Formats: sequence, C-alpha cells, structure tokens
Amino acid sequence: MTQGKRYVILGLVVLVMGAARLPLEQGLSVELSEKGLVPPKLKIDTGDKLGQTFSAVSLGGLRTLVATFFNIRAFSYFTEQKWSEVAETYNIIVDLAPHTRYYWDSGSWHQSYNAASYYLYQSNLPAMRRKLAWKESILTGRNFLERGIRNNPNDPILRQSLGYLLADPNKILAFGDTGKAFEESYEAYWSAVQTGKARGFAKRAALYSLARVPGREEEALELALEIRSEMPVLPPPTVLGLLYSLRYFADPNQSVLELVDDVFPTREIGYEVLGNVWLRSRDRFPVHGSAKALVLLENHFDIPEAQSILRRELALPMDPNDYF
Amino acid sequence: MNPLLMINAFTAHLGRISVIARHAFTQLVRMKVFYFLAFFAIILIGSNFFNLPQHEGPEAAGVNILRSIKSWSLGAMTLFSVVLSIVATALLLPKDVEDRTLYTILAKPVPRIDYLAGKLLGVLLLIFVSLLVMDLLMTGILQVRTNMVLSKQMAMAEARGWSVSDIAGLKADILAQGPTFSLQGAVLAVFLRATVIASMSLLISTFSSSTLFTTIVSFLIYFCGHFQADARAIYLSSEVGTDVGWVSQAIALLVSLILPDFQLFNVIDSVIEGQLMPLVIFGKLILVGLFYFSFYLIASWFVFAKKEF
Amino acid sequence: MTDSSPAVEIRHLVKDFKTSFKRQPLRAVDDVSIRIMPGEVYGLIGPNGSGKSTTMKALLGLVAPTSGECAIFGKDSLKVDSRDEVGFLPENPYFYKHLSGEETLNFYGKLCGIRGTKLRDRVNELLKLVDLEDASHRRIGGYSKGMLQRIGLAQALIQEPRLVILDEPTAGVDPVGSREIRDLIFKLKEQGITVFLCSHLLEQVQEVCDTVGIIFRGRMIKEGNLDDLIAIEDQTELVVKDASPELVAEIAALIGRDGAAELVRTGKPRTTLERLFLRETRDQKNSESNILK
Repeated sequence: MTQGKRYVILGLVVLVMGAARLPLEQGLSVELSEKGLVPPKLKIDTGDKLGQTFSAVSLGGLRTLVATFFNIRAFSYFTEQKWSEVAETYNIIVDLAPHTRYYWDSGSWHQSYNAASYYLYQSNLPAMRRKLAWKESILTGRNFLERGIRNNPNDPILRQSLGYLLADPNKILAFGDTGKAFEESYEAYWSAVQTGKARGFAKRAALYSLARVPGREEEALELALEIRSEMPVLPPPTVLGLLYSLRYFADPNQSVLELVDDVFPTREIGYEVLGNVWLRSRDRFPVHGSAKALVLLENHFDIPEAQSILRRELALPMDPNDYF
Repeated sequence: MNPLLMINAFTAHLGRISVIARHAFTQLVRMKVFYFLAFFAIILIGSNFFNLPQHEGPEAAGVNILRSIKSWSLGAMTLFSVVLSIVATALLLPKDVEDRTLYTILAKPVPRIDYLAGKLLGVLLLIFVSLLVMDLLMTGILQVRTNMVLSKQMAMAEARGWSVSDIAGLKADILAQGPTFSLQGAVLAVFLRATVIASMSLLISTFSSSTLFTTIVSFLIYFCGHFQADARAIYLSSEVGTDVGWVSQAIALLVSLILPDFQLFNVIDSVIEGQLMPLVIFGKLILVGLFYFSFYLIASWFVFAKKEF
Repeated sequence: MTDSSPAVEIRHLVKDFKTSFKRQPLRAVDDVSIRIMPGEVYGLIGPNGSGKSTTMKALLGLVAPTSGECAIFGKDSLKVDSRDEVGFLPENPYFYKHLSGEETLNFYGKLCGIRGTKLRDRVNELLKLVDLEDASHRRIGGYSKGMLQRIGLAQALIQEPRLVILDEPTAGVDPVGSREIRDLIFKLKEQGITVFLCSHLLEQVQEVCDTVGIIFRGRMIKEGNLDDLIAIEDQTELVVKDASPELVAEIAALIGRDGAAELVRTGKPRTTLERLFLRETRDQKNSESNILK
C-alpha cells in the first residue's frame, strides 16, 4: 500500500471517527453548559472590542485572565473619571466572567455611586445635563445589577446590593416613584433571603424597605413581629421604631404611652429612638404616632419646650433640584 | 495464545516504551525548558507582595486577589502546556531523523508503535511534572493568601457583631475562592487538553518532516478547535432548517468532523469563578482525553509504520 | 554444529524512489541478490550513489522493497523480530550528545530488553572491547570521529547479535582509528559473528573481507571470494628475506630454464604508506612516553 493510499485511508478514518464522536461531544457540551460549568458563548461584538490578540487568548485560554486585565484597565479609567469607558469596560468584563459577583457589584457601584457623585459635585457641564447624567448613571448601575442577578440567580449579595441601592435616600429620586422604589427594594432583599444564603441583616433590610411602601403596613408589621420574635436579645433601634409606628398605625386608638412601654425596654430608649427617626426625615421612615409619643415623653422627662425635638428643623428629603 | 507469553510481550513493550519515554524526557529537560518554571515561580511569589490596582470594598477585601492568583497561574499553565505540547512533540521525530539516531533505534527489535508511544509519553511526562510543580506553587501561595484574607475578614465580621451563621457563611465563601479540589481538577483539565494537543501534534509530525510546518499546523488546529463547537452548532441547527447556505453547512460539517472540541475544557474558567466541579464531569473529560490520545497515537502509527527513511 | 542456512538472504531486490510526479522513478537497486553465510565477512563496494546504503536499509526494514525479499537468519526483514539478531552501525551516526558513552550503551541495551547486572556486565565488556573505558563517562558530544565509530560499533553489539551490518565504518576516520576498527572486525570474525559491511575505501575492504560484491548503479556487476577475485591468475609471488644477490641470480636462472614460466620482476617489495604512517606514529608515541617516564 503506497503512502499516498495510506493518507487517504487516514483521512477517511478521521472523518468517520469525527462522525462517531460528534453526538457524544455534543451531549457533553450541552451538559456542561446546562450545569453552568462552561461559560456562555461570547457575544460577537465583544470579540471585536477585545481585539484580535485578546480574543485568541480568551477563546484558547482563560477568559477570566483577560477579565482580570480589563479590570485593571477599568480601574485606571475610574481614577481618570472616564465613566463611559468604565461602563463599556465592565460590559466586556462581565461578558468574559459572568459568574464573578465582584465584577457586577463593583461595576454597578462605579456607575450608581462614583459616577453619580461626580456629576453631582464635580462636573463642569451645565446643570440640566448634569442632572440628566446623574440620573442616567444611577439607572445604568441599577440595570447592571439586575443583569448580574439574572446571570447569577443564586447569589444573595447582588440582590442585597440592589435592595440597598433602591432604598438609598440619596438615589431614590432617580427612580421616579419612591413608593415603587421601596417596594422593589423590598422584593430584592426578600429574594436574597429566599436564596437561603443571605446574611442575617437581609431580612431586616427587607423590613425597612417594606415599611416605607405606602399601603403595605400590615405586611410590614407581620414581618417586624416575626423578626422581633427571632431576636431574643434587644433588636436594633430601627426595628423597635418601626414596631412602634406600625403597631400605632394598626390601631391608632390605643394608649400611646402603653405602646411605648410595651415596645421599648425603657422610656429613655423610646424617646431617643423615636426622636432620631423623627429627625432623620430624609430616610422617609414611617412616623405614625411619633409626634404624640414625643410630646408625652417630653412631658414625662420634664424637657422644656424650647428644647423639644419637634421644634428642630427637619432636613428636607433631598431634591435633585437642590443641586442642579 | 498463551497468556504468559502475552504478559511477557506486554511487559517487554512497556519496558521499551518507558526507556524511550524517560529518554525523551531528559532530552527535553536538557533543552532548558524548566527555566520557565523558575520564571513562573518568581512571578507568582512576587504577585503575593504586589497588589493589583483595583477597588475593594471592605467585604470583598482580598478575595479578588485570590481570583487573580488563580487566573494568572492557570493562564501561565495553559500557555506553557500548549506551547510545550506542540513544539516539543513537533521536534522529536524530525530531530531523530536528522541525527540518524532513528536508524539505530529502529535497527533494534523495537516496534514502531513503541517508539511513537515512548516519545509521546515522554512529552506528557514533562508537561505533567511541570504542571505539578506549578500547581504546588499556586496552591501554596493561594493557601497563604486565603488564610490572610480569612483572618482579616473574620476579624472584621466579629468586630461588626455578625451572627455565627453569617460568619460561617462568609468563611465558606472565602474558602471556596481558595484552593479547592475543583481547582486541582482545573489543573487536570489543563493537562488533559495538553494531552490532546500533543497527540495531535505527533500525528502531524509523522507526515511532515519539518518541525516548523508541524508547529504551525498544530497551532492552527488548536486555535480552530475552539470554534469546532460553534461549527457543530451551525451544522446541527442547519438540519432543523434554519437559513444556512449549503457551502457554510459543508464547511461546518468538515470542521466538526476533523477538529477536536477544545471548548469542552473551558471548565477551567468556571472553576476560577468559584464553581464546583462534580467528579462525574472530570471522569468524562478524562475519557475524552484518553480517546483522543489513543486515536491519534494509533493514527500516527498507521502513517509511521510504513514510512521510509 | 554447522549452520547451513544463510545469515543474510536478499533475493532479487528492486527499489524505486519517486523523485517527482513527472519524471520516471529512480531505480536505486536493480535486481540485487546477495547471500551471506554465517561467519563470513562480506564487503559490498561501489561508488557513491550505487545503492549500497539502500540495500542495507532494505535488509533492516527501514525501507520497503518495491519487489524482492530480504531475510535475516530466515526472518523477513519487514518484521520486527528479524532485528533480534542484528546490530547496525549507520553512516556518520550521531548519538544523543547529552549522554555519556556508558549511558548510550545502557539506553540501547534497555531497548533490547537487557537489564540489571547483565546489562552492566555487557556494557563493561563492550567498552573494553572497543577500548573506550577511559572515555565512557564523557559526553558523546566530546567524542572524536573514531571514538564515535567505536561507540557505534559497541552499540551495534549490545544484544550479542549474530550479524553486524556496518555502513562505511571507516569513513572519515584517521589511519590509527581505522586500523583499530579493522582489528575489531577481525575480533568479531574470530567470535563467529557474521559481518556485512559496505564501503568505498577499497584498500581497507581488501584487508578484512572474505567475500566481496561490486555494485554499480544499482546492479551487482561482480561477486565472489576476495582472494579468487583479486589474485592475478597467472602470476606467483615469492618473497624472500636476506637473499644474497647470488641467490637471486640463481633463482632467475632457474626460472629461465623452465620453458613456460617467465620472470616478471625482482626488487624490493613495497610496504604501504599506511603501514609506514602507523609505524612512525607508534614509534613517536612510544619515544614520547619514554621521555615522560
């Protein structure tokens, strides 16, 4: 048999073997991507952005390594405050490493916090454009987090970050309807709790957001009571404050001082907590029955009217127009 | 046939293969391949003292460095093993032919398949040893760093008064980013991929007599092998009747049949991101590696058996 | 017990090489038949490109015949087991430069399945035979041409083969080394090992071989016993020591009286330049070592 004939036979055998292994490899490939063990296909335009050399590495080698490089680049854009480049780079990064929570988290942080703050304080653009940019940065950050959550449904931290962003008093006005924002924040925190891997405070954070949704006070009270029962030792002041307001809301006719004594361990603590909540009006926590309680407690403690908390000026909820 | 004779024959084969393999190993080592390992070690240990410029919130403090260490190390391992498996295999046969030492070996009662298997196993041994050393270094540095991150995070968590279950959750999170069995599995995946590449390179070197040609073709196949999965997808989807021209379909089919699917080994990326790898998957990857190794070795023998010198 | 089956049997060997698609294939070996009996030293001589190496390679299975058969001790050359009894020294061999002489022999020994003390003894024996004991720990990269040939010969003998094939064993070697190799071949012959060598250094072949085959452009043009071939048939040689001129005259007269015989020439027989060289260099070496003592 000549060498030429041998090559022909070899070629045929390779093709036949290829046909034989095709279904097996396909099966394994499908199994791997179902289990999330193989990263999803890179979108074509990411390949363009990456440039030829990096594409070769990320296809032939390690996307996560390329992501690391791009992370360094994103950081330098951040130090130069080039926000659109930061956003673009992070898009590439998460395409390469979609299951790395850190990238989603920091990418959205750069937009919602750093970029927004830049437009608030530092940018030289005219006011109208700055306001728009501020709002857009925050919304970009939010979208980024939501994408991250879709890619990592079992991750609690991204959900917590989303919940935090949506309830942040400095950002909330970017989202339009504040009530809706608080509701979505509650849902984010609650979904984090439901992953089963959330940190302990996620449940409390869910409560805080829920309590600020107008119309769902009953639910909030139930949740507050549940949390209270899970904490044998004294819960945080915010929980106590909410318990007071929500219980008052449920039954406005009850005796205020009795309620205070029931909820708070001492009247001093009650006065302090309710006073703080009252003053921190920017946080928008419910203050049902707080004014009444404060008056009564001030009487009890013989605090002169001149020093009453109710006389202090409240910080108004932040309005973007104040800054632009 | 007498089983004792078969065992004797088998042992004789193994003996010859191991002699050639060990010899190929020392020959490659003398080519100062291991200096790369020293370079790798220096970079890795240096990275321990060098902090990448990046943002780190208090809760993520240090965890990203773990990921970086893993990325760097596995990237270096991949690069090294791919280059070595192609180049070392490509030069073994032509060198023997050029030096005429091949004649002295084949003039002895050495079956040609023993010769091929020995050379291939020598290269794989070299890659295995190198990967082992790099793996030990990586795991060591990673362990040290993980412990540093862990103690820092534990201190922070306790200072903030986190609950016991929360602290345990945090600890588990951090340990999952450190050295795990899945990480060792990722190194194994690197080795398996190198096995496939080296075997394929051997096949090409049997019908090409030029080291350069073999090297270039092998690199091309390696590169294109990553698109094999896409080609396969195109071909299979075209059966369902999507709009794909028949030329593209034919090319896709050809590519799917000829090239190996290197994308299967991308599990490495997922492991770096912190996924856990079930043993079954590793078993399957090992089978894939074994399949390509045997197939290419036998195909090489087929071409080499009647080659004239 | 005499072994009457041939050590080497090549029957009607033809080998064509394709040069390019257009031209006719090149016929390197054209209907060559050789038979070598055990214990013989056979020399295949011919100019460069006459097909000597190809014939040897066909015998060793490195090249497949276009037609014809080759067998070693009755086993077909295309099968691996035919090489159990053969040792081969190729032309201008390189061995792995990074190994020492001893390590090289160990390598080849293990390839033949020899291990342990048996291997060690065999290696030492061979190193002694080829006179490389001192250099056995030096790397092959530092060996001279003659040393390379000798280690090559040792490697060929590692598994105690009954047949040894040598391709240009003395090419490029200086006269001293050449002499040593030829002495080794004599030693092999004494041990009953069959030797098949090819060379185009005709003088050296003349000393060593029993049988000779002349190959030219792929064809065997003459073959036979060496002495028969080169004896000048009709002449007789008489070499006398310390002959006085009177004795020489008497012998000449005796021949003159015989009707058929004729005196062709008298005078001093010539030594060869090679013998002179060896004698002189040996004497020089001896006198130098005497001075050192």
